[in-house]
Amino acid sequence: MDNAILKVEHLKKSFGDNHVLKDISFDLNEGEVLSIIGPSGSGKSTLLRCITQLETLDAGKVCVNGKDMVVGTDKKGLAKYAPASVLREIRLSTGLVFQNFNLFPHLTVLQNLCLAPVRVLGDDRKDARAMGRFLLKRMGLEGKEKAYPCELSGGQQQRVSIARALAMNPKILFFDEPTSALDPELTGEVLKIIKGLAEDRMTMVIVTHEMAFARDVANKVVFMDKGVIVEQGTPDFVFNQSDNERLNAFLSRFAKG
Amino acid sequence: MQDLSSLLPILWGGFCTTLAIFGLTLLFSIPLGLIIAVLKMSRFRVIRYPVSFYISVMRGTPLLLQIVAIYFGSYYLSEYSGLGISFDRFPAVIAAFSINYAAYFAEIFRGGIQAIPKGQYEAATMLGLTKKQTFFRIILPQVVKQVVPASANEVITLVKDTSLAQVIAVTELFALAKKQQAAYASIYPLFVAGIFYYVANLLLSCFFAYLEKKLNYYR
Repeated sequence: MDNAILKVEHLKKSFGDNHVLKDISFDLNEGEVLSIIGPSGSGKSTLLRCITQLETLDAGKVCVNGKDMVVGTDKKGLAKYAPASVLREIRLSTGLVFQNFNLFPHLTVLQNLCLAPVRVLGDDRKDARAMGRFLLKRMGLEGKEKAYPCELSGGQQQRVSIARALAMNPKILFFDEPTSALDPELTGEVLKIIKGLAEDRMTMVIVTHEMAFARDVANKVVFMDKGVIVEQGTPDFVFNQSDNERLNAFLSRFAKG
Repeated sequence: MQDLSSLLPILWGGFCTTLAIFGLTLLFSIPLGLIIAVLKMSRFRVIRYPVSFYISVMRGTPLLLQIVAIYFGSYYLSEYSGLGISFDRFPAVIAAFSINYAAYFAEIFRGGIQAIPKGQYEAATMLGLTKKQTFFRIILPQVVKQVVPASANEVITLVKDTSLAQVIAVTELFALAKKQQAAYASIYPLFVAGIFYYVANLLLSCFFAYLEKKLNYYR
């Protein structure tokens, strides 16, 4: 597909002798949502961290918004990254929502949202604040501008961190198990926000253990196990039609709860 | 026994020298400590190892010796090399105290910097903040809160350590008190000097308690 906003081809990543990602390929169109599911340790988070440049990949290609992250191989046979300016462009077109929120605890909610737009994008402080307030309203967090992260519930903190990522106006938003650190009763409010973003045609890649959510929100689902993509396709295909044994064993474990 | 009204002005003069040593040492050792802390976390061994050695010498030998070494050492060095870089007494004291306390502060700051979760760096990176912005806007403000209790200890110790300056005849508070003790054959001036130190540290303790409370606006 040529209009893919995210293209990953033959991505490989090892930590020493541990081959975490063996040969990962997939792509995603603009405005679509991809869910990545799979057992713990299957490499889902590492994949996300390679695409968002928090980890370096060993081999393969990643193309974000038409820009190639890798431009060849070096003498050791490892991936040779594009020039820093290109990598920065790619970085600014991607946002990441962490499992543990990683809000800046010493800054208020609004300061968390405005810091990067002002300091990195050079936005006017007033505009950034207005945008911050708008995003908080969208997250159902009106009136929390001056609160510190520690004064908020986990669900509220995660919504702030989604707003913080959105404030940078990314082309693709990545979620690394966004509800895994939350109590079950707080999970719903975060998932609702992400669903809202999907309805607004935000391009998203979501690593999650919430199967029902993964099925409902996504246009495309990837099932990973032991560093490879075992199955991928539409939610209906992956959840209902595939006869892949590993996938079905995994899904039945979830069905039992 | 000596009259308090004649003793106090004398001791006050010494106390001003003590305060000068105290203030100047903090002024130099805190920024220097921060730089050393960052260097000690360097990726490069050629930087890390000498810095570790420097810290171990500063913490492993008496400050008294370091004062003597800087004062006389610089004197002999300039005498024999003709470079003319010998220290006067007071600057020698400031130099010795600064590099000594910088070593202690460096270890406190390093602990504080390393206590900041990796996720803070990652969040800053994802938002496109540069390394410099990340350090000064995200990491350092949180380090300040982390290091206040341990730094308070050092600062309070410093007040008392200033009395070591007398080893090269800098007439700070304790040196003057000892002179009065000898002149009047009474230990009373020493106790009065002790009250000076105590009151100074009481005020500092109050300041640090206030600072900790002030920084408690977040967890």
